Amino acid sequence: MTLSLEDLQARRVDRNQPLLEVDDLVMHYRIKAGEVSAVDNLSFTIHQGEAVGLVGESGCGKTSAALSLLRLLPANAEYLSGQVRLNGEDLLQLSEEAMRKRRWKEIAMVFQGAMNSWNPVYRVGDQIREVLDTHFRGQMDIEEQTAHIERLFAAVGLPREMVDRFPHEFSGGMRQRAVIAMALACSPGLIIADEPTTALDVIVQDQILRELKRIQTEMGMSILYISHDIAVIAEVTDSLGVMYAGKLVEYGPTAEVFARPRHPYAYLLLRSTPSITGPRRQLAPLAGEPPDLLNPPSGCRFHPRCPFATEQCSVEEPPLAEISGGHRVACWNYEDVPELEAELVR
Amino acid sequence: MFRFLGRRLLQMGFLFIIFLTIVWFLLQLMPGDITDTLIGDPSIPLSTRLELGERLGLNQPLYLQYWTYITNFFKGEMGVSFSRYPQDVSTILWEAIPRTLVLVLTATLLAYWMGFKSGKLIAWGRGGKTEQGFIVGGIFLQTVFYPWFAIVMLWTFGFFFGWFPIGRFIDVGLWQGSGLDATSVFVQLVFSSFIAVMVYAGARWFIKRTAGRLITQQRLERVAAAIVLIGLVAYWYFNPARTYVADIVWHTVLPVLTLGLVTFGAVMLITRTSMLETLGEDYILTARAKGLPKQAIRDRHAARNALLPVVTSFILAMGTVIGGAIITEQIFSWPGMGLLFLQGIIVSDIPLVTGALAITGVLTLFAHLVVDVVYTFLDPRIRIS
Amino acid sequence: MATKETTHRSDTDPSHEDDGAVVFDELVRGGDVRSEPLWRIRLRLFRRSFAKNWGLYRESKMGIVGLVIIAFFGVMAVAHPILLSTVWDPVVYDPVSGYDAVVNEFTIVEDGAVVDELSEIELTQARFDLNPMVSVGDVVRIPVQPAPPSFEGENVHVLGTDPQGRDIFSQLLYGARAAFLLGFVAAFTTVFIATTVGSVAAYYGGRIDGFLMRTADLILLMPLLPLLIVMSAVVQINMVMLGIMIGVLLGFGGDAIVLKSQALSIKVKAYIDAARVAGGGDRHIIFRHIVPNVVPLSLLYMMFGVTTAIALEATLSFLGLLNIQMSWGIMINKASTEGYLLSGTSYWWLLFPAGLAVSFLAFGFFVVGRGMDEVINPRLRAR
Repeated sequence: MTLSLEDLQARRVDRNQPLLEVDDLVMHYRIKAGEVSAVDNLSFTIHQGEAVGLVGESGCGKTSAALSLLRLLPANAEYLSGQVRLNGEDLLQLSEEAMRKRRWKEIAMVFQGAMNSWNPVYRVGDQIREVLDTHFRGQMDIEEQTAHIERLFAAVGLPREMVDRFPHEFSGGMRQRAVIAMALACSPGLIIADEPTTALDVIVQDQILRELKRIQTEMGMSILYISHDIAVIAEVTDSLGVMYAGKLVEYGPTAEVFARPRHPYAYLLLRSTPSITGPRRQLAPLAGEPPDLLNPPSGCRFHPRCPFATEQCSVEEPPLAEISGGHRVACWNYEDVPELEAELVR
Repeated sequence: MFRFLGRRLLQMGFLFIIFLTIVWFLLQLMPGDITDTLIGDPSIPLSTRLELGERLGLNQPLYLQYWTYITNFFKGEMGVSFSRYPQDVSTILWEAIPRTLVLVLTATLLAYWMGFKSGKLIAWGRGGKTEQGFIVGGIFLQTVFYPWFAIVMLWTFGFFFGWFPIGRFIDVGLWQGSGLDATSVFVQLVFSSFIAVMVYAGARWFIKRTAGRLITQQRLERVAAAIVLIGLVAYWYFNPARTYVADIVWHTVLPVLTLGLVTFGAVMLITRTSMLETLGEDYILTARAKGLPKQAIRDRHAARNALLPVVTSFILAMGTVIGGAIITEQIFSWPGMGLLFLQGIIVSDIPLVTGALAITGVLTLFAHLVVDVVYTFLDPRIRIS
Repeated sequence: MATKETTHRSDTDPSHEDDGAVVFDELVRGGDVRSEPLWRIRLRLFRRSFAKNWGLYRESKMGIVGLVIIAFFGVMAVAHPILLSTVWDPVVYDPVSGYDAVVNEFTIVEDGAVVDELSEIELTQARFDLNPMVSVGDVVRIPVQPAPPSFEGENVHVLGTDPQGRDIFSQLLYGARAAFLLGFVAAFTTVFIATTVGSVAAYYGGRIDGFLMRTADLILLMPLLPLLIVMSAVVQINMVMLGIMIGVLLGFGGDAIVLKSQALSIKVKAYIDAARVAGGGDRHIIFRHIVPNVVPLSLLYMMFGVTTAIALEATLSFLGLLNIQMSWGIMINKASTEGYLLSGTSYWWLLFPAGLAVSFLAFGFFVVGRGMDEVINPRLRAR
């Protein structure tokens, strides 16, 4: 069997079919001092061919969430409840061996600081060959593998000669592209890209994002973007989720969430960058710091910093409820948020 | 590559000359010379002693003696031994070198091999009582008072259990009248073992090229090891000198084991530390995400990178190993260079001691070179392009 | 509006590198600049970081064990002179010149006619071992040395006596004194040399650096034991000299190289430039700024240096090459030269206490070093 990118382009994509369903995922880290609640009641769905974004401050749990999907968490992490269904199958119930077989083949991941994803003592091409050997044992001979790897390199814009080079011979941006090439190697249904453009200069950033977008639409792949850079996410995603202190506080179509954020935190986050075009708006600062997840605040985790907080907010956790087509918010007072908008725009 | 080697050899030569110079001048400060050994015998007149001194050039000014020594050294002549007059130093040392080399190399290679394996496995495991035990054991082996440890080993396994001979190189009574020379038999033994190791290494290289999966590779490697081992044993079994060879091997086990154990402890600890650091690297997480089998992650990715600092550590460890070899030879009466060195010091046999130190210097520098080359092969980041 | 904390004290950095900012912060807090003497502030900061590091150190079980071991031997070392001047009679218990032995009387009998081995001895043997002039019927007095541990009699010998009738326990305690003396000298010398060389090399760079590092490489090349053996043949080495020699060799060797890297990382920090702009001379910068930040790391290597020093001294003493009167190594050396080495369990008190003492003390210092290592390198901590 020969894999080719052309085959993949013919992949039938049904945008209404869910690919990955995260259902009420709860996970914490066990440390000496107690338990750190890293992900709490996380629920969202990635459909086939969809690009989903997850934004939030550092430490809000987005990377932990990503790692939980692939069960790559460190030893002191514990899953408490929830399901992660890939094409209907709950990944959390699988044996380690079964999960291993699905890694990279069904879901691939591009890590933060992907430049360091490469083992310095082996050639880049050989490290890509590794995944082919692991997941397509006996189905490809060496020449076919080489041809495939060269095609992958071409797809991400890397010269063919670099396949047999060592990682230290690549520049940072090239290494990033190579990681994407490796992620595509088994043509997975979903790629998780955690901060794919941090530590790269703006021009390279732009190129990488374009590449990813192109690959995604051409090959009908789903992508989960994780970033703290809202500008980046807004450009390339179809749906957007905002996380805070381990919880998903707002979720919906990107355009909608961006234009009309209804969760106070999401609002302040998305309005924290000035825009050159658009109405002149006063910048809304966000006071305080993210909470300590060892002892998270009662009720809504954002209430200590929220300008709209009421009595209820400190007692009861708001559920992630739908307010309009596909747009969900977890806030008791979401209707008050548009006032802020009016106030700030002069 | 060759330019690199050439440059390094030149560097080494330079360093060696400095080393030899320092050693030579230092040893000249040792009291006594050959005429002292003759003082005890009153029948030898003073004139004879003076004449001997003159003949050996001991009356000449120091810098001239130094120059003579250096020039002679590179011709392979290291002077005449004071305590074993008139044997010359090169002959004496030539016989002793292989014995010390076998002791040190076998012990070190075994220690590094087993030490790396254990350290790797311990670091990979999730901790717990076994890891703690190994760590304490390793530290114990590294800090135990070596002479005492060697004595205890000798007494326990040689005297108490009687499994091994109590020191020495051969059982002299056994060899008398056999017409065989212990050194030549020994050299034969070493040579055949070396061939066996080369064959095995070649087999492993071949297997790596051809076989596919990691597990098949390992199985084939084990088969190859078994074949080579059986072949070696069979070769000597059918050899008429086999009892004598067995005698030598029997005497070698305990000293090698003792020296090896102590080195093993240190290597295991260093490997564990290195593995732990490597396991925190990003590419290990990537390897896990790629869905690679656990063994591949542990061996191909983690251990392979953890190996680098361990190899470097060997350079520093060499000094300790040399010291350990001296003590081992002393306690086990193993007739190698270390024993000659000690004996030479006690009787102020300056040429012998100088020669022993010089040879040690040569071997040390050579080992440095080997380690450097090996490291270059292991780490593509510093490869000379 | 005071800022909360101008720097973020990370857990991975137990050095004092952020002290400058915190000091400034402390001075400004409260609205006015307080005139507190700098040394007082330094002391407070030192105590705080010490407390934090101690807390971290405590987590490592082995580090605590190491400290206990060292304390144990420390007590031994201190107890010795006290015991000698109070409870013990120096004539009997002095580790070098004491003497005590039970004297057994043996009657000489004909060869082959021994009835009671505990009181009779054969003629030939007596003539050979004791005195060629004796004859049958004479009574000879043979002291029992070395004697096994005895708790009765007028003199208690907890660990028995050595082949020359000296009390082993006293020797053991004295050995602790000797070991600590050696350890301190070697440690101090190592730290001093390594810190100075490393800091100077890092600060001046260029030729000085090159020269110092080349020398360090050369020293690394030399195997320690053979070198010391040769030195012992050239000069008579006593404890203090040995300590200094070991300190110089270890300090100048590997340690200096490591410390130089550490010093380099300090040198490029901003406050060094600030100090220079403020008019600080070379020596001032080296000793006031670089050295204090390099010392913690050198303390770590000092621990391993002490381990090496103790082992080296014991080895050299065992080989009989040192000019010292009593140490643990000498104890084993005595056992060896008098032929008791392979006696195993019959004369265990000659071999085991001394050997175990060296091993344990070395173990103790090594483990303390590892404990300190875990504080400095958090990656090694318990997972």
